[in-house]
Amino acid sequence: MKEHLEQCMQSIVDGDSQKAAELAKLSLDKGYPVLEVIENGFARGIREVGRLWEEGELFLPELVIGAEAMKKAMEVLQPALEAGQAAERLGRVVIGTIEGDIHDIGKTLVATMLSANGFEVNDLGADVPVKRFVDEAEKSGADWIAISALLTTTMPGQKRVIDELASRSLRGKIRVMVGGAPCSKEWAAEIGADGYAGDAVAAVALAKQKTG
Amino acid sequence: MKPFLEALSEKVLLFDGGMGSMLIAAGLGEGEAPDAWNITRPEVLMNVHRAYLEAGADVIQTNTFGATPIKLAASSRGTAPDAAKVNEAGATLGRTAIREFGFTGRWLAGDIGPTGEFFPPMGLLTEERAMEAFRVQAEALENGGVDLFLIETMYDIREAVAAIRAVRGVSDKPIVCELTMELKKRGYFTIVGDSPARAVEALPAAGADVIGANCSIASGDMIELAVEMRKLTKKPLLFQPNAGRPEISSGTAVYRQTAEEFAADMIKMVEAGADAIGGCCGTTPEFIQALRAKLDAWR
Repeated sequence: MKEHLEQCMQSIVDGDSQKAAELAKLSLDKGYPVLEVIENGFARGIREVGRLWEEGELFLPELVIGAEAMKKAMEVLQPALEAGQAAERLGRVVIGTIEGDIHDIGKTLVATMLSANGFEVNDLGADVPVKRFVDEAEKSGADWIAISALLTTTMPGQKRVIDELASRSLRGKIRVMVGGAPCSKEWAAEIGADGYAGDAVAAVALAKQKTG
Repeated sequence: MKPFLEALSEKVLLFDGGMGSMLIAAGLGEGEAPDAWNITRPEVLMNVHRAYLEAGADVIQTNTFGATPIKLAASSRGTAPDAAKVNEAGATLGRTAIREFGFTGRWLAGDIGPTGEFFPPMGLLTEERAMEAFRVQAEALENGGVDLFLIETMYDIREAVAAIRAVRGVSDKPIVCELTMELKKRGYFTIVGDSPARAVEALPAAGADVIGANCSIASGDMIELAVEMRKLTKKPLLFQPNAGRPEISSGTAVYRQTAEEFAADMIKMVEAGADAIGGCCGTTPEFIQALRAKLDAWR
């Protein structure tokens, strides 16, 4: 079992989608507890990928194929989870780049890592109007809205999303995280966001820490 | 006028600085491609070019960073303007500014930025698609009369090489190619993991005459990169860092670094062996003017 979990983890670190899917299937065949396989196997792998990326050991391609392998493993495990124990849903996140801003590399990375780490992610893309963030979050009962802004001129849009939430009395229900090159902890505090994440790994940590 | 590469071999040349923030200051709105202003607001571009020429830039850059057909389509709300027209207009504006404001002898660089799409595994960009986009842009810049090409802010050597080869397909003029790198624990890398060592091999092999780095990091963080690249290659080198990271003060962005501090860092790069220097995001004619003064005094 322990060795199996190690292999699961390694398949994600290696970004080997095929191996990850095979190991996921093997886990089911052998009747291993699915939650443990995810948490101590595959999810540990994606956390390791995140750590190595932060350390500067891995780069965007490895991060993407690691997340892709994670997705493949989860596709195999998800049905078993739904049939058996309640899936550990960490939270729902609506994410996008604010209107007027078409930078979406960082945002997509955050979405990928949140999803790989067990969050349900609705990626609205780039140039997303303020109202749409709130509409989508309200409709899906999201726990978080994650807003990326890469330009000093579009950052004020992050505040407008928070204002819109307040005007619909949703401020207590839906948390907001902000990110993007010009943003900072101070900026997040100034506009009343629930947190700032400087990169994809920090976004996962923030969402985990404050959800629930 | 002296050929660019010949001049570069004789003295350190000064490129201009940031463009985007100046256009925003002039009223560029959301959902509007900055490059489209070459057609719709030419007077603004004439003013920017003039300001940099008066500040003492030897080389000015066309307002065509995002003017491949791919990027234009992504950055325009509604119908994108015709890429060939935007690029040719951009080059014509630069040419006109150099002539009309009395700066004959200065050079015009046709600016080329990334398509914004990714090669696998991050995206679906192909070499063929990238090369076609860059060919359209390069051909129009050539028609507009640029003196050289500046391929910049590239984060994937595959895309940089596609751009270099596309330019080489339509022009014999000098090609400068800058990657954009960050300082990681193990050294400088682009976001896809391309290193200076790989850049000094791949970019000249594809046909770049001058290589270098721009954007992503501030001047202070780029000095070591200049030192490192100088050790790795004999090719002429260009560096264009950002002004220090913007800080938010009462809801607006403030660049804390002064033009003087920036210029002092740039002189360190010259001492490290840079052949050309300039600025990127957050730098203004004021920065280039300060740098001109320091550079002239340094000689």
